[in-house]
Amino acid sequence: MDVHDHPTTAERDPGAALFVRGLVKTFGSFTAVAGIDVDVPRGQVFGFLGPNGSGKTTTIRMLTGSIAPTAGEAFVLGEDVIRHPERVRARIGYMSQKFSLFEDLTVAENLRFYAQIHGLGRDEFAERRAWILHMAGLQGREDELARNLSVGWRQRLSLGTATIHSPELIFLDEPTSGVDPVARRQFWELLYELAEQGITLFVTTHYMDEATHCNRLAFVYGGKLIAQGTPTELRDSFGPGATLEDVFVGLEEQSRLRGDDR
Amino acid sequence: MNPLDRIGAVVSKEFRHLWRDPRAIAIVLLMPVVQLLLFAYAISFDVSHLPTIVVDADRTPASREYLRDYVGSPLFEIVEYADSPGAVEQAFLRNTAEVGVIVPAGFGRTLAGGGQAKVGVLIDGSEPNSARVAQAYTNALNLLATQQVAIAWADTQGVDVTGLGQLEPRVRTWYNPERRSAIFLIPGLIVVILAIVTVQQTAVSLVRERELGTAEQLTVSPLRRGELMLGKLLPWTLLAFIDLVVITALAVWVFGVPFRGDPGVLAAGAALFVFCCLGIGLVISAVAPSLDVANIAALLLTFLPAFLLSGFVFALNQIPVALQWFSMVFPARYMITVTRGVFLKGAGWGELWPELAALGIYAVVALAAASLLFSRRTR
Repeated sequence: MDVHDHPTTAERDPGAALFVRGLVKTFGSFTAVAGIDVDVPRGQVFGFLGPNGSGKTTTIRMLTGSIAPTAGEAFVLGEDVIRHPERVRARIGYMSQKFSLFEDLTVAENLRFYAQIHGLGRDEFAERRAWILHMAGLQGREDELARNLSVGWRQRLSLGTATIHSPELIFLDEPTSGVDPVARRQFWELLYELAEQGITLFVTTHYMDEATHCNRLAFVYGGKLIAQGTPTELRDSFGPGATLEDVFVGLEEQSRLRGDDR
Repeated sequence: MNPLDRIGAVVSKEFRHLWRDPRAIAIVLLMPVVQLLLFAYAISFDVSHLPTIVVDADRTPASREYLRDYVGSPLFEIVEYADSPGAVEQAFLRNTAEVGVIVPAGFGRTLAGGGQAKVGVLIDGSEPNSARVAQAYTNALNLLATQQVAIAWADTQGVDVTGLGQLEPRVRTWYNPERRSAIFLIPGLIVVILAIVTVQQTAVSLVRERELGTAEQLTVSPLRRGELMLGKLLPWTLLAFIDLVVITALAVWVFGVPFRGDPGVLAAGAALFVFCCLGIGLVISAVAPSLDVANIAALLLTFLPAFLLSGFVFALNQIPVALQWFSMVFPARYMITVTRGVFLKGAGWGELWPELAALGIYAVVALAAASLLFSRRTR
């Protein structure tokens, strides 16, 4: 539960999905991420929670190697993502809240492009494509332009393009924002399906009902990690009958009083 | 994991984007043809058949003979014969005439008496180009008329002027003897079109990916930044060359523009120029915060300099010195020297190497700046 009761660098588990210590990112005088430690074992659904502007996206961008941190270390699937981001890229997937689809390309063309970028062979692509179309319920709509799909379909297609290369770890940055509750529930069912295959999921969200779907949670506020644990642990620490919503609001309040917000 | 496969994936994706966007196709394929027709037929700096109003207040054989020179010249077209000088102003205001010739009463008598007969020529200066040409024409015409008057007078005095020493300049215009503006404009137009096609599209294409979020998706993928850039540049390089070939063919076979030089020099120049433009486009897309900004920046940085600061329309040595220096910042001026040199003058490597070198340096600097700006974004 406490942020600091973690193994030191020497105790790093080489098989862990994520091992992050003292991660800092500053943009000029603005500190977006102020020293974050995270451990994620393989096969977990890890919820990374926090209000808008708390540093969630910046953290993900550092963990996927698209920006370099100001300080700290980060190992993704056992590889040092800061020094060798290219070693990690083929093994991770990334889905942003923008969905990252080419709107003037069809469903099939979007899948094919991402498959080519990841160097999938013909047979492998055919197999992945069939699985994704089934998973997203997009069979028969292969030739529709991504632009013409409704939000729920685009979200699932986006998850498909992010998983086309069978990654071991998927970062999902607010994947359900702007999606209706029914589609959100369907989406989480897909995430469970992926988790059952042994894929590690690192999900950011600000929907508390989604947090209960996670094996483990971390709360960020003002660029700092203010609590970490399983949903049950976090609820219990706040007294009987507390919901995650209560926990989050309470933690946020405490942090604000301590002056943690920048 | 083959880099070529990944670049190929980007190239085919770019062509798909183009194929789905009718406006982009129109810009790439139709605009060059439309511009070519516009500049070759509609827009012309050739001045002839200047509408002219004539006021003959003298009405003598001498005045009629003088005015006959105007009637006979293809440069002037008499649109009106009037009696009072006031008619000239009326015609200027109504835009029916640009030149007014006024022969005052007593013209014939003064001339016959050996005096200096005065003729009034009024020129509508609201359109400076035709005004300048009209002035030159009337000066020349009056000089000839004066000469004839002098010869006629000498004749009546019994003087033989054939023994008189005279000076006759033999002026010949090279490369474009008829001084057709189409021949002057089309080689420059090629440069303008290449600039528009390449800069605009590259500037916009990466910004669009950033707005869609696909740019970030790609940075997380195994696709390297250099591969993405190359994949985006190759289709436009290819399209630029298609445009180059189409315009050159139309210019030579339809509009009779001579092609006197080495096609290799033109191709080399065009390749370097396209790289310059793609570099500029990439710099814009690295810096521009939105699609609109990228569009406007592309317009300001290529269209206007290519038109105004390249020698395309206004000769570079005729513009203010500060602007001459400023024009060196844009690659179009070097490329226009190359196209005019190759098309009209038959220039080759020996004459055009300084421009080719300038383009080469420019391309390296622009592409280096672009890749620097892109890597800075991710720091």
